Amino acid sequence: MKADVLIIGAGPAGLTAAYEVAKTGLCVLIIDEHQQAGGQLWQQSQILALPDIFPNMRGFELAQFLVERLEGLAVEWLLGHRVIGVYEDGQIGVTNDKDVFPVFAEKIIIATGAAENAIPFPKWTLPGVMTIGAAQSVVNRDRVKPGSSAVIYGDNSFASDVCELLLSVEVNIVAIVKQNKQLGNSTFGDMNIPLYENSSIIEARGNGKLEEIDIQTPHGMITLKPDIVLIDGGQSPILDIVYQLDCALRYQAELGGWLPVYNHQLQTSKDHVYVTGNATGVSNHSALILTGMLAAASVCEALQSLPPEETEVVRNSLYSKLENEEESDTFSARKEHIKQFSTPQLKDQFIS
Amino acid sequence: MHIKEHPILGEQLNKPITIYLNEQPLEAYDNQSIAGALMANNVKKLGQSRKLVQARGMFCSKGRCCSCYMTVDGEDHVKTCMRKVRDGMKISEGLEDPELRRDIDEG
Repeated sequence: MKADVLIIGAGPAGLTAAYEVAKTGLCVLIIDEHQQAGGQLWQQSQILALPDIFPNMRGFELAQFLVERLEGLAVEWLLGHRVIGVYEDGQIGVTNDKDVFPVFAEKIIIATGAAENAIPFPKWTLPGVMTIGAAQSVVNRDRVKPGSSAVIYGDNSFASDVCELLLSVEVNIVAIVKQNKQLGNSTFGDMNIPLYENSSIIEARGNGKLEEIDIQTPHGMITLKPDIVLIDGGQSPILDIVYQLDCALRYQAELGGWLPVYNHQLQTSKDHVYVTGNATGVSNHSALILTGMLAAASVCEALQSLPPEETEVVRNSLYSKLENEEESDTFSARKEHIKQFSTPQLKDQFIS
Repeated sequence: MHIKEHPILGEQLNKPITIYLNEQPLEAYDNQSIAGALMANNVKKLGQSRKLVQARGMFCSKGRCCSCYMTVDGEDHVKTCMRKVRDGMKISEGLEDPELRRDIDEG
């Protein structure tokens, strides 16, 4: 198979990039391991803050919008397919778990997103301990209550969105446990749930499933008996394809850990490979859309479907929007990451 | 427990089907993942770890952590958070490594 641009990942950033690239007349091929395009948006029922070109909408509404927007454009789909490697001649190896075949593209945009991190503690592998995002997808995708009483471990705005969702389907939240005391108010506001700050889960126990947990608080140890513990350990970029394409990496704690180095054009250390969305650093939904547009503009410039002067204007305007819309710490870390483009900490990782 | 009336997304569970865990019938609905349907039936242990033989269940629900492997219709090591249920599906716990080399060894 052939395309001008191959986009790996059909989440918000990949779909946005696909639209911007295809709009200029280039052929786009989108690959995603799921059977349905939209990525994690389908299970996001919370209202998202988006750049001013979009009305605010819920995650699943955005998925539908971004997919429908591609109708009539030169976009081909490989849903239910995964990238599993790179051939010697640079073609991309793709599988549907039965056959493997090569795909050739002039440019590649990595839009693989991010995955949730665990916060390990003894016996954290007991059934009943899961990520906060898992609880959200069980409720919204499968329409199943993950348990009847939950402890939430961690505190960011995503956890509080899921907390509200769980309360609305009558899951009792028995406690929120935070490792640090955060500046300002808890994102959980006045939900009237016991909150343990400067505390950590030190052990889980149970026979074949979670039955009780010990929590070390500043005022001593307490034992609770929830049937689920939901871990909010933040997210980190998904890098499998970054390694396979042999892109160089740097560590930026503020952006979620290891990630590919990229320049102002969101181009990686491999000239033909660009990166977008949470794979450029974990941020909010606005940033996913804006970096999708940024990567697309650079790819169009490189393939001469957009004139360079125009591209520079578009890019500057997108960067100033990004500065307004993402957390200032995230944007500073992103600027620092771009500055360090030519000094990666890891390169030539691919063992052939 | 199945959520019949979702506060934001409305109804979806309209086609009940039957799946079998170790030959025991369980109620599920079209479009649910296997792991989700089992969770609705209060089945949390989906398999066990090879080395320390400890219970494993669904952890990430995104197909990345590999904690939810089960045997589905004779196929070992199926990520049950990603595979959808089908009427009459036969499921058993993921207790050991799959016999990937069976065909080669016997052939």
